[in-house]
Amino acid sequence: MTRVLSDYAPEAATTWNAGAVHPEPEVATDDATPPTADEATALLTRVATGDQRAFSDLYDLIAPRMLGLVRHVLKDHAQSEEVVQEVLLEVWQTASRFDPNKGKAVTWMLTMAHRRAIDRVRSAQASRDRDTKIGIRDLGRDVDTVSETVEISIEHKRVEKAMARLSDLQRQAVELAYYGGYTQSEVAEMLNIPLGTVKTRLRDGLIRLRTELGVAS
Amino acid sequence: MSSLSNEQLETAAAYALGALDADEAAEFELVLALSPELQREVESLREATGMLGAATAPVAPSPGLKQSVMAQLAATPQLPREDAGAQLAAHAAPVDPAQLAPAHTLAGAEPATEIPAPIPMSGLAADKARMRWFARPATIVAAAAAAVVLFFAGAFAADLVRPSSVNQQVLAQVVAAPDATVASSEVAGGATASLVSSESLGLSVMVFDGLATLSDDEAYALWYITGDQISPAGLFTVDADGQTVQVLEGEFVAGTIVGVTVEPASGSPQPTSDPIVAIVTESA
Repeated sequence: MTRVLSDYAPEAATTWNAGAVHPEPEVATDDATPPTADEATALLTRVATGDQRAFSDLYDLIAPRMLGLVRHVLKDHAQSEEVVQEVLLEVWQTASRFDPNKGKAVTWMLTMAHRRAIDRVRSAQASRDRDTKIGIRDLGRDVDTVSETVEISIEHKRVEKAMARLSDLQRQAVELAYYGGYTQSEVAEMLNIPLGTVKTRLRDGLIRLRTELGVAS
Repeated sequence: MSSLSNEQLETAAAYALGALDADEAAEFELVLALSPELQREVESLREATGMLGAATAPVAPSPGLKQSVMAQLAATPQLPREDAGAQLAAHAAPVDPAQLAPAHTLAGAEPATEIPAPIPMSGLAADKARMRWFARPATIVAAAAAAVVLFFAGAFAADLVRPSSVNQQVLAQVVAAPDATVASSEVAGGATASLVSSESLGLSVMVFDGLATLSDDEAYALWYITGDQISPAGLFTVDADGQTVQVLEGEFVAGTIVGVTVEPASGSPQPTSDPIVAIVTESA
């Protein structure tokens, strides 16, 4: 694939999830301002009414982030694009379900993408080396990743810092589960520890992460 | 701070991280659908896992991907906002009636030989038996169709629409029916039972949470009680977590009472013990 640099616009992006990433300048909208988190919600609301133009903008906002996450789990680029395509169509179909009172639009879409990615990786485990590169420190810095905006980079550091506040064992369990796509039972087996211990580590680790990231509980 | 059990909190965390396998996730989603408090917990945990997701470096999709997705929009129907029932219906896999094995088989217990036909009851025995069903007052909350959909749809409808078992597929269909009704009741011992039913489909499904496990020689029995007739509606057992979804055998008619008793594992033609719960449905 062609590597495309982002047209990073620092003055326009005000929040971490501003999504100031335009991997395909040639298909970017006329709107020079990258969508903010609130715009993601606004776009999704318009998409729910069948607005294809809003969907086009939403694609620009979310597709590179979805692909980043899905490929981190799946590794294989072609399969990851297939999954992202499925998720995007699911977003189109189910946009009316999104409830802004129950979370951020970006979270809603990335949750769908993560779910599909782990479904795929579990259905095709043999085709993938599941033991490599699952940690936060290994988050894709591959040659064809889009250049990050300062905001995304800051956000990455923030998550990395929050992850550093977990105990090593908690972090390992959370990373294996979320980025590795392993079930809690598989994690227990891999680490040769009781399932109950894995559950406790996941729970305590995620609570700590939630606190460190300042997400309201 | 919370009335959620430690186990529920742990399961919520594993769920938010995607660390449950398909069966575990399906079971949890049913509990989730019934607990607004648990839903709030999962939503909050998901904001944290969402940030894990957002922390990965963005990757540029192939130039053709956008075109491909955009080209499919016109042919991809969107789910309407108002009619949540139709949303579920649009996703629910069609259920092949032939797949509907007897409940006791689905539950993993020994198959019983034959389901006896309803036996009309009369006289003293009937009165005595009927009295059992009302001896234990139950809190019953019946809701209209719209509320049923809210009850199950919420933010988690997308999870319910990928059911992993036949029982759950039927549940999704019943929930999606325009005349779906739900009634919930406490079960002795702190468990909850919810009956989701649809007269137009002639189906009802019991969703239990916290039901005690039984000894190997016992099973839970479901009964449809209409007037003087008590008809067996299937046997089932529960796993250690006490959560289960059970489609009732036979045709559901509005106004029927649904009862649950503990019976020998081989089943009984008529109830032999007091009901642990009885749910009265409203007449059509």
